Amino acid sequence: MKQSLAICLGTLLLSTAASAEVHISGFASVVGGQVLEGSGVEEFGLEPTFLADYPLVGAYTEEWSFEPDTLFGLQFSADLMDGLSATAQVVSRGADNFSASFEWAYLSYELNEHWTLQAGKKRLPLYYYSDFFDVGYAYPWIRPPADNYTWQIFNYTGASALYNYLIGDWTMTGQIYYGREDDEPNKLLSEFFFGASTREIWKDIGGLVVQFNRDWLDIRLTHMQYNNERFIGGEQRIWDNGSTERKGKFYGLSVNVDWNNLLVLTELNRLTLEGSDLDTYLVTLGYRFGDFLPYVSYSDFDDGSEIHNTASVGLRWDFHPSAAFKIQYDDVTDDGVGAGTPDSWRVAGDAKAISLGVDLVF
Amino acid sequence: MKKLLGSILLCLCSMQVFAGVAVIVHPSNGDSLDKKDIENIYLGKTKSFPGGGQAVPVNLEGGAVREAFDSNVLGKSASQLKAYWSQKVFTGKGTPPKEVASDAEVIGLVSSNPNIIGYIDSSQVNGSVKVIAEY
Repeated sequence: MKQSLAICLGTLLLSTAASAEVHISGFASVVGGQVLEGSGVEEFGLEPTFLADYPLVGAYTEEWSFEPDTLFGLQFSADLMDGLSATAQVVSRGADNFSASFEWAYLSYELNEHWTLQAGKKRLPLYYYSDFFDVGYAYPWIRPPADNYTWQIFNYTGASALYNYLIGDWTMTGQIYYGREDDEPNKLLSEFFFGASTREIWKDIGGLVVQFNRDWLDIRLTHMQYNNERFIGGEQRIWDNGSTERKGKFYGLSVNVDWNNLLVLTELNRLTLEGSDLDTYLVTLGYRFGDFLPYVSYSDFDDGSEIHNTASVGLRWDFHPSAAFKIQYDDVTDDGVGAGTPDSWRVAGDAKAISLGVDLVF
Repeated sequence: MKKLLGSILLCLCSMQVFAGVAVIVHPSNGDSLDKKDIENIYLGKTKSFPGGGQAVPVNLEGGAVREAFDSNVLGKSASQLKAYWSQKVFTGKGTPPKEVASDAEVIGLVSSNPNIIGYIDSSQVNGSVKVIAEY
């Protein structure tokens, strides 16, 4: 019995090995940092804080810490042949006390040369850097500018279609997606904004991404819509429109230039939520000197009440074929209205912070 | 031991001195490809030859020929390419070309499959493959 089971398993393993090639790849960031000088937010009893990563509440204080930006990710991809593949990604983050969880799990089917269908749990491709936010090696900064990436939801479960066309000297790529996300407790809202367990639901998320690329120029346009429901401390939130649901519409434009050694990265976004506009933008300038990329960056968030921006200066050094060392200085200004009152719209106050670390892919 | 030393020396020599990069396809492949076509195939922007046939690119793992190909044909450094592919791989939008260890392996693959495109040191070219471009 034991023997036949062993043979059975052996055959199974062999046949799996023969039909599916499993590929393991991964990424990691080990980053430390601290607040050099900060105001905190007195009305919330918040000590000097640099909120480096909104969705995960990666926050630095005046004490040196490795937790806010450090993470390890492993991706398993099984090629089932004839265009079918299965991918799963496990990520362990310092901001989550290094507990590992499946961020992604999806099936992918290559319909033809131009179209690929995917279904399962994926990262939401909202902003330019949203769907590879965790892969520090793929961009210049330590992390994408926090003022732009303030969203509560960064994954969704659903289906998407990726496309890819060559049009003369241009490549047109993009994605059409539909799905939902029900996050409880939502980390950003529960731990930072409301101080009470919050369930954040985005229903009927529907989006379109169109990206044009030619040599040194890259242009990305995106639109996304969703219906938002929220429960704070178990109680359903009634929005200003008198309903339990509110509609969000997101528009984004990104123009990136990588010309000779000059790098210009820009992003301009607007989210309209029941009549109010949440505007964000970022601009980064960098210049490559061999393996060194110094850069300056500015990012801004403004919805009329919550207003903050960050000026940054940093350096990326590709010191190894698979790894980059980065150091970055951030200066955050929090101009949220009503400072010092119970109606304060400040988030984390002003802060000057330093962070440095290594990003790698394997 | 002597043989090993010899092959190490040979390896070192071939890494330092090479005649140029020859881009090769199967002899039956009638397509003509310019630099942009080759770049599009190697960056995963297209999966077919200009004539319509499926195109499967093969990379060398490393060495001088790979470096020359990356910088002269693709116009990117090794770390820029790594950043490019890590963005694709970890968003489920593509996988980089398969890598093999030697020119001989590239020739073996290209000569046995009309869909494969590769590149090798020009001095290693033989009659089993067709050179479509040299850089």
